Amino acid sequence: MFPWNYGFHWSTGNVLFLGAFYTVLVVVATTVASAILRARRAVAAQQTDAIRWRSDFHDLPPRDRVCRHVLTGEFQVRECPNAFDCRQCETHARLVALHPPEAPPESGEELLGMSFPLDRFYHRGHTWARLGPDGAVTIGLDELGRRVLGVPDAVDLPAPGTRLRVNGPAWHIHKRNRDVRVLSPADGEVVEATGGIGGDGYLRVKPVGRGFDFRNLLAPCEVKPWLLREVERLQGALSAEGVPTLADGGVLLPDLSTAYPQADWDAACDAMFLQA
Amino acid sequence: MDRQLIARGVRRCSTPQFLLWILPWAALFAFGLYCAGLCLVKGLNQTNMDNRFAFGLWIFVDLTIIALGAGAFFTGFLLYILKLKDLDAVINSAVVIGFVCYSGAVAALLVDVGQPLRAWFTFWYPNVHSMLTEVTFCITCYLAVLLIEYLPIVLRNRKLREVPGFLVFEFELHKLIYVLAGVGTFLSFFHQGSLGGLFGVLRGHPFAFREGLAVWPSTFFLFILSAAAVGPSFILFTTWLISKLSGKRLVRPQVLQLLGRISGLLLGVYVLAKTVDTLIWINRTSPGAGFPAQEYFAWQPFGTWILFAEIVVFGLAPALILLTPRLRLRTNWLVSAAVLACLGVALNRFVMTLQTLALPTLSFDRYLSYWPSWQETGTFLAVVAFGVLVYSFSFRYLLLFPQEREFRQEPAAQVSETAVMDPVGRS
Repeated sequence: MFPWNYGFHWSTGNVLFLGAFYTVLVVVATTVASAILRARRAVAAQQTDAIRWRSDFHDLPPRDRVCRHVLTGEFQVRECPNAFDCRQCETHARLVALHPPEAPPESGEELLGMSFPLDRFYHRGHTWARLGPDGAVTIGLDELGRRVLGVPDAVDLPAPGTRLRVNGPAWHIHKRNRDVRVLSPADGEVVEATGGIGGDGYLRVKPVGRGFDFRNLLAPCEVKPWLLREVERLQGALSAEGVPTLADGGVLLPDLSTAYPQADWDAACDAMFLQA
Repeated sequence: MDRQLIARGVRRCSTPQFLLWILPWAALFAFGLYCAGLCLVKGLNQTNMDNRFAFGLWIFVDLTIIALGAGAFFTGFLLYILKLKDLDAVINSAVVIGFVCYSGAVAALLVDVGQPLRAWFTFWYPNVHSMLTEVTFCITCYLAVLLIEYLPIVLRNRKLREVPGFLVFEFELHKLIYVLAGVGTFLSFFHQGSLGGLFGVLRGHPFAFREGLAVWPSTFFLFILSAAAVGPSFILFTTWLISKLSGKRLVRPQVLQLLGRISGLLLGVYVLAKTVDTLIWINRTSPGAGFPAQEYFAWQPFGTWILFAEIVVFGLAPALILLTPRLRLRTNWLVSAAVLACLGVALNRFVMTLQTLALPTLSFDRYLSYWPSWQETGTFLAVVAFGVLVYSFSFRYLLLFPQEREFRQEPAAQVSETAVMDPVGRS
């Protein structure tokens, strides 16, 4: 149209008005085109899982995004700015240098009848990673995660050779039409998928590149405060539906979803496995 | 049945209940489409408008819903440009409301034009000196912007985000949303203003004619100000209404109070500006055109009460309520004030369109009256039904209020926190 518009004149009014109009159109079109190009590049660079996690993390309620150093009381209030990837967090590095982690108790943590061995590192999405003598890492679901899900109907494990990324999906668990995505605690390549229904560990993973970096995972001294908070979150998710939860001195049932089928387990699983 | 489409962490009514809610609105929409079809096929003789009374119910509705839909651009401006992060809780709903309002307005305009197949003429043969051209350009551009802003909300649907391409595109588009918020603000500023300017330049209608600044009459600025003032009020009211209808807490009270405070502040400025403008019009502009202002109000039912209602009842009163911290804390007052503000802008647009056209200006003119035909009313109802339908589907399948998920667990979490912190007290 411009300047081939019917009746167009090179006057200030014409130029200003149509100029502003076409500038707006160009800005809008450029914005959309730029988003499409960036999206194409991200898909080509296989960043989909990372973006999915960042998007999920952004949608989590603020209380589920708290920094691990709030759990240990080093901060009163702090939201994690790195989507639970402490490997790139300067604050975390500084705090670890100031207060080096204490040696873990040999026995491990016992809480509400659940056992949390301290020979491994825990991810906040209820998985753990244990370094083996052969340099490979075993990845599994922690006790609280197992009790929330109970015996799964099916487990979709990745095929050997699949590349896992920290906070990317490790495997999927199906229970009563629910699809629960379990986050990977470590980077690496799957060498063996040994787990399944009722199994202990699920995956064995070999390092890729510079080896494993567990700085994103909870150290043994952080496990107890984290678990206390997790049980509290679980109680919150279940109490909203009027499900009786914990009495003093009680222990969690081995298969909570079977024991309380009327509860909103979608919400409970979302809360526990950090799904948004 | 459709549970897998509903956002995680929120509860919605059963599918049959939802269908029961949708059904009457769908029927109303179908009836409205029939009415609009009649107008398009048989022509504008289906309406009670004529060459003299060329602006009727549709233009009044257009002006009103465009003003109420201003909440979308203004909330986006406050959130993305001025970084008022608390408004994140209502931005999705604001975008949907904006989209509904603007798409409804454009649809009504297409029927109103009477020759929708020639609607593109306004772009191809624009009269750059016409306020109406600016309005047309800005509204269509802004509708496109709103559609693009609505897209990420739709793509965040639980099922759609399982498609990697959608997820990544939504993520990347959201990162650039501040550009769209800026463009939306620019466009809204000008089309809200030009809608006002449309009446302010009517020298042949001294009831509406106003002096102003350069080429812009004062109504240009008053329309911008009033739209920005009631936009947040409409978001406040709709959020409260949806909360009541769905029986769910959707946002924290502080968010509604913030919307109320913003609305109150702008409404206060608007009332002041409107009062000054009215005084200038009564004492200078209108007498200068040979019409003592009191003559306009001699035509019943448009007495001086309408001016009083517009400025005091629906302007000053809600502004004072919204600016009083103690009253803002009480939901009843807050919502009532927001409703009054919204009614105020509707009354203002009614006065500018219908009262302006009804009043005689030439010695041989008659005082005209107008009542919309059932076809016009039906088309208007279709716009309302369309809005309710789009919003209902959006509310059910998209996450319009992110804080809603937090509330489901909050009371229990608070109780258990107390218990953990004070085990002795509990026993």
